[in-house]
Amino acid sequence: MKTCFEWFAALERHPRLNPGLRVLMAILGGYGVAWLGAAALTGLPSASKSDAVTLAMMLTFLLYLVNVLWIFATATLLRAALGLAIPAALFGGWLHFAT
Amino acid sequence: MRFDQARSMRLSMSWLHTWSGLVLGWLLFAIFVTGTLSFFRNEITFWMQPELHRVKTNGLALSRAQEILEQEAADSPMWIITLPGARNPTLGLAWRADAPRPVAKTTHSRRGGEARGENYGNRHEGGEGRPQFEKNNASASAAGNTTSSRPGMKRLTLDPATGEALTARETAGGDFLYRFHFELYGLEPGWGRWIVGIATMFMLVAIVSGVIVHRNIFKDFFTFRTGKGKRSWLDAHNASSVFSLPFHLIITFSGLLLLGNLLLPSAVQSAFQGDSRAYMQSVRGGNTPVTPPSGERAPLTDLSALLAFTEQVWNGQPIGSITVNHPGDRRATVELRAANMDSLMGGRGAARILRFDGVSGQTLDMPAVAPPSIVQSVWNIQVMLHRGFFASPVPRWLLFLAGVGGSLMIATGLVMWSIARAKAREKLSFGHRLVDVLNVAGIAGLLIAIGAHFWANRLIPADLAHRGDWEIKVFFIAWSASCIHALLRKRKTAWIEQLVCAGALIAALPILNALTGGLSLPGSVEQGRWLLAGFDICALAIGGGLLFAAHKVMLHTPKFRVTKAASAIDTESKLSFPDFAQLQTEEPA
Repeated sequence: MKTCFEWFAALERHPRLNPGLRVLMAILGGYGVAWLGAAALTGLPSASKSDAVTLAMMLTFLLYLVNVLWIFATATLLRAALGLAIPAALFGGWLHFAT
Repeated sequence: MRFDQARSMRLSMSWLHTWSGLVLGWLLFAIFVTGTLSFFRNEITFWMQPELHRVKTNGLALSRAQEILEQEAADSPMWIITLPGARNPTLGLAWRADAPRPVAKTTHSRRGGEARGENYGNRHEGGEGRPQFEKNNASASAAGNTTSSRPGMKRLTLDPATGEALTARETAGGDFLYRFHFELYGLEPGWGRWIVGIATMFMLVAIVSGVIVHRNIFKDFFTFRTGKGKRSWLDAHNASSVFSLPFHLIITFSGLLLLGNLLLPSAVQSAFQGDSRAYMQSVRGGNTPVTPPSGERAPLTDLSALLAFTEQVWNGQPIGSITVNHPGDRRATVELRAANMDSLMGGRGAARILRFDGVSGQTLDMPAVAPPSIVQSVWNIQVMLHRGFFASPVPRWLLFLAGVGGSLMIATGLVMWSIARAKAREKLSFGHRLVDVLNVAGIAGLLIAIGAHFWANRLIPADLAHRGDWEIKVFFIAWSASCIHALLRKRKTAWIEQLVCAGALIAALPILNALTGGLSLPGSVEQGRWLLAGFDICALAIGGGLLFAAHKVMLHTPKFRVTKAASAIDTESKLSFPDFAQLQTEEPA
């Protein structure tokens, strides 16, 4: 447990791995969240099914953008990861329980 | 700046802005430039077919067109006649040559959200009046030697005044540039679109992080300090960005939306259980099947009379096209469609349509189309802006100018990356040299390639087989040559030589046009053919601008000298490179 924590702290301090991980999180993690979000947000109330798709798409790209900005703006890698994990969990839960 | 240390929001955003803009910046520049030209793709294609430049514009030989269609396409299930208009002075005929499709699937040409037809990865057939992609293969004769650019459709170009069939060269036309801007070339369409989609997302991140970095967007717009090295580049970058910031945001975001179903298939999967066909049906909603043909023959009514009637009803609003369904059948219908859209929010369906019985010539009721929902309107506005779906020239020119501004924004940003880091560095690092080479080849080289594409259009023999493909090959050969040239030459000489080359190629286009059978610039101005004059004047302006830029680069002498002290500082601050936020706060010397 302790070594795990140390290992994480070392990542946090590493001048190249830290931004490298953020880039990976932003591109791949952000896409993953967007993928889930696009699926989940079609559940929003809207006039027709195609409207639901359109709305979900617009919101999802904005969400992707905000996710990327957050990942680079926030202080620590952990907070960056949480920025992905929380919406992913919400969307995943929504998809799992609401459909 | 280091991510493992405390840092301000602006510094983080500045880092993000710098790198998200740089990594795919050259691709984005190419997308922006070719996309900007696409606002005038019809005009460009017309310029590239000098055989059509001298068509007479007095009179409209619609009866002759009807005769030709009745001879050539009596059994066709659909004709489309494109009337001469502000963007194309010829009379275009097109007809479906294949067997009629099953009736249940045939739908009205009026489509609420048709603008989305293409965002699916696979093109769908049947967008009436939509400019064709592929080659503009207009070479044909009324004797039946017609060619088709799309399986199932045959087309013929007529002189609008005489109704004579015109033979124009095959050309890749403006459509090559248009298609390049969203699916590149030579790749599977899906791959090209994915790459463009990824680049677009980078662009969105770069724009928004760039806005966050700025403190004084408004003030920056009015600030321009010339001759101050990187400070001036920053001012130029700021001004070109702020000048049309809403355009950049909308064009980028709507670009993502247009590719949305390809990039994020999960939305359609979730809402339609993966049934993309059901989705397309739903998007086009409100369609009613065309009345099936009766099988009984009956002569088609005189189209000229319908045209005259519609002109009167619409008070001279220009008419774009005439669609005839089941010509020659007792249940034929004729639809006249306005050239301009009534509203930006309505999507493609917003063009006015008047519908007639094809035999009696009586007007028919149009099926009521529900007004678009709010979500649909938001979508439509963005997509209509992106695609320039409104015919009046002023907004089109504004879009074009904004596109030029966007191209300048990307170019100045890329150059600034290099300049901000050029300080006192005796030997360039590999990365820096790479950026410099890509800057020359990606910015000046792309413009050379576009210039060469237009030259190839005029110099390749007009009757050569597959000459459209050759035009495209010349584009890529010229671009490759500029890459090699940029690798071999020093940065400054490479910039000068390539800018001069691009400027000369482009500025000389009006001369080339006059010498190779096109209508010359004085002639087109005198006759008021602004379609052609516009191309030539733009070429002069852009070419002149590039030559001026080359001149400025030639005069430029770097202000700093490499001193030992400066190199020492440079190595010390290797990780905290001079960055955007610092530049923004620096006071001008």
